[in-house]
Amino acid sequence: MGLLDRLSGLLGLKKKEVHVLCLGLDNSGKTTIINKLKPSNAQSQDIVPTIGFSIEKFKSSSLSFTVFDMSGQGRYRNLWEHYYKEGQAIIFVIDSSDRLRMVVAKEELDTLLNHPDIKHRRIPILFFANKMDLRDAVTSVKVSQLLCLENIKDKPWHICASDAIKGEGLQEGVDWLQDQIQAVKT
Amino acid sequence: MAAASSSDSDSGRAESNEASSKWLDAHYDPMANIHTFSSCLALADLHGDGEYKLVVGDLGPGGQHPRLKVLKGPTVLTESPLPALPAAAATFLMEQHEPRTPALALASGPCVYVYKNLRPYFKFSLPQLPPNPLEQDLWNQAKEDRIDPLTLKEMLEGIREKAEVPLSVQSLRFLQLELSEMEAFVSQHKSRSIKRQTVITTMTTLKKNLADEDAVSCLVLGTENKELLVLDPEAFTILAKMSLPSVPVFLEVSGQFDVEFRLAAACRNGNVYILRRDSKHPKYCIELSAQPVGLVRVHKVLVVGSTQESLHGFTHKGRKLWTVQMPASILTMNLLEQRSRGLQAVMAGLANGEVRIYHDKALLNVIRTPDAVTSLCFGRYGREDNTLIITTRGGGLIIKILKRTAVFVEAGGVVGPPPAQAMKLSVPRKTRLYVDQTLREREAGTAMHRTFQTDLHLLRLRAARAYVRALESSLNPVSVTAREPLKLHAVVQGLGPTFKLTLHLQNTSAARPILGLLVCFLYNEVLYALPRAFFKVPLLVPGLIYPLETFVESLSDKGISDIIKVLVLREGQSAPLLSAHINMPVSEGLAAA
Ligand SMILES: Nc1nc2c(ncn2[C@@H]2O[C@H](COP(=O)(O)OP(=O)(O)O)[C@@H](O)[C@H]2O)c(=O)[nH]1
Ligand SMILES: [Mg+2]
Repeated sequence: MGLLDRLSGLLGLKKKEVHVLCLGLDNSGKTTIINKLKPSNAQSQDIVPTIGFSIEKFKSSSLSFTVFDMSGQGRYRNLWEHYYKEGQAIIFVIDSSDRLRMVVAKEELDTLLNHPDIKHRRIPILFFANKMDLRDAVTSVKVSQLLCLENIKDKPWHICASDAIKGEGLQEGVDWLQDQIQAVKT
Repeated sequence: MAAASSSDSDSGRAESNEASSKWLDAHYDPMANIHTFSSCLALADLHGDGEYKLVVGDLGPGGQHPRLKVLKGPTVLTESPLPALPAAAATFLMEQHEPRTPALALASGPCVYVYKNLRPYFKFSLPQLPPNPLEQDLWNQAKEDRIDPLTLKEMLEGIREKAEVPLSVQSLRFLQLELSEMEAFVSQHKSRSIKRQTVITTMTTLKKNLADEDAVSCLVLGTENKELLVLDPEAFTILAKMSLPSVPVFLEVSGQFDVEFRLAAACRNGNVYILRRDSKHPKYCIELSAQPVGLVRVHKVLVVGSTQESLHGFTHKGRKLWTVQMPASILTMNLLEQRSRGLQAVMAGLANGEVRIYHDKALLNVIRTPDAVTSLCFGRYGREDNTLIITTRGGGLIIKILKRTAVFVEAGGVVGPPPAQAMKLSVPRKTRLYVDQTLREREAGTAMHRTFQTDLHLLRLRAARAYVRALESSLNPVSVTAREPLKLHAVVQGLGPTFKLTLHLQNTSAARPILGLLVCFLYNEVLYALPRAFFKVPLLVPGLIYPLETFVESLSDKGISDIIKVLVLREGQSAPLLSAHINMPVSEGLAAA
């Protein structure tokens, strides 16, 4: 594997590595989304609540993603900021069916956007309005209203409705993210 | 999302804005149609899916249509009618084995309805009480049509007035009826034997034998019959029964049933009784001067709210610790526990729409809502810890989530003892002398007192003797003899060598004038010269002051002064009535001039 990697790197075939932070409240579907983006043979069957964080890797057509899947549980959310510096992109996942905690998601997003390590960087943010298959889910337009996404002026962002269990909407989001990262790099 | 449904502030700040608030406004529905009290609210993971639900024993608008509601997030998940008004709702673990989903208990009338997985599981009824034999007899007569409904009503009312044993529900309902409805009611009910059952007034849970967060718990019931019952968690048999002097309305328990527990019951007579595991009767009693409106235990402190708009803190032995005054009537109370920061505080919902949060007597936070607050509940809801549920008088539902970063701080001035207590008193330094003196005083106190008393008596004796001597020799300017009560007062005016000497003579008797007095001056004739050294006094009318003037010529130019004696005499008597010594001033003028 090491040798092959190096070889493809020499030949200019090696994919660029990017570090992506996957954030959002607990139970929003972060682990499920990342699991779905991995090659099917590497996907795990049971998704259990993440403790602390876990590091996952997957590849898109031209990039190699290293994803920090952060736990969204209240007591772990203060860990997020320690990884902001390393992140080159952010995936923010929202449970569209959890109306009650939409305010909490907004609060955490605002805290993230105001953090000194994020505030002045043109870091791309991809939002997944996840669990769109559920009956009491609100639309991605409504989610972006509730989170006041239109106020984000200095960073490229995009919102996709998704169903992480079926894998719907995920590819669209990853494609957008890949375009953004390449636009920055070249 | 409700924009400005409510606001909150810390005790220190008067105004607060969105950014400084500790709470996120998750939901506000003024028309949620929820009418309940804090005791009828419970939060639990009823389905075991990690999503905590809210159980509401709803009285219905105007107490008309009681319902059991279960809410998921902002929406009502299930709703079912209740046979009677709910008294309390509680969630508890019934058994040890998996899956450990808590059961729901709802106390209503004489029954506790137990639900598992939100399906009816068991109904516990309070035991029957013996009916009033007189009442029974009346219904028997009605059954045999020996008395008409109107007589029945009169007789029952008579029993209600004076009987020790209260009437059955059947009789009470009969007494509420209109004349037209009575006949039908009697014919419908007369064949039934009357039952008497008390009703549940309050309910809480008590851990059975483990202190763990998720340990099996017993239900503890308070009844209108002035009793407390502890039920077995699985079999619902009565494990223990305690009696109280009054009807319990709020309960607080701590400890474990099998080991040791403490039970506090706030009662309708305005007292809070504290019971222990082994006590069948109250061990301590807290007498409030008003009715209790809520009871919350914060760590070891019992916090009682009273109808006098105040919160009181007591130890578990009933000793009063503090009192704080509220700006409006307290309508409801509950515990706020922020586990992540180990904070426990009391929330009080007020008639003016405020929710005040206190840690002991320190105000931590004030939330303002648009309506009077009727119930409060804080805990894990949905997937968020630290969620506050508020319902208001108009049926509104407010859900707030405490920010992850929020820290409650006590406002400076309110905490601790009053500032005067910290002020230093200027206590004298403990010098060697001071210590010796103190020791001596302690040892020889009696002797010192005696010596002082002896000296004091000697002094008094000497003063008395001198006074008597003065009286005997009339050496004083006041004569108190019965016949000639007189007062003399002399004034010297001038700088010299000529002085004017004025004697003011007053007859101090009430009515008798004095006649035949003489005034005589005795002086050193080398130093002074007086025109008349001896003269007669005119008649002295009682009360008036007579000025008698004479000039005194100072003869010496050496600056010497002397005493001039004035004697007031009665004609024909050699002993003077009174005398005065006048200290003449030194002449400042020149004698020769
Ligand atoms: N219906 C539905 N369930 C989802 C979706 N995405 C995730 N879930 C479920 O949500 C739960 C939490 O997912 P998880 O990935 O652990 O969330 P995380 O805490 O953000 O990592 C799991 O039971 C998933 O099966 C979705 O798009 N639709
Ligand atoms: Mg996870």
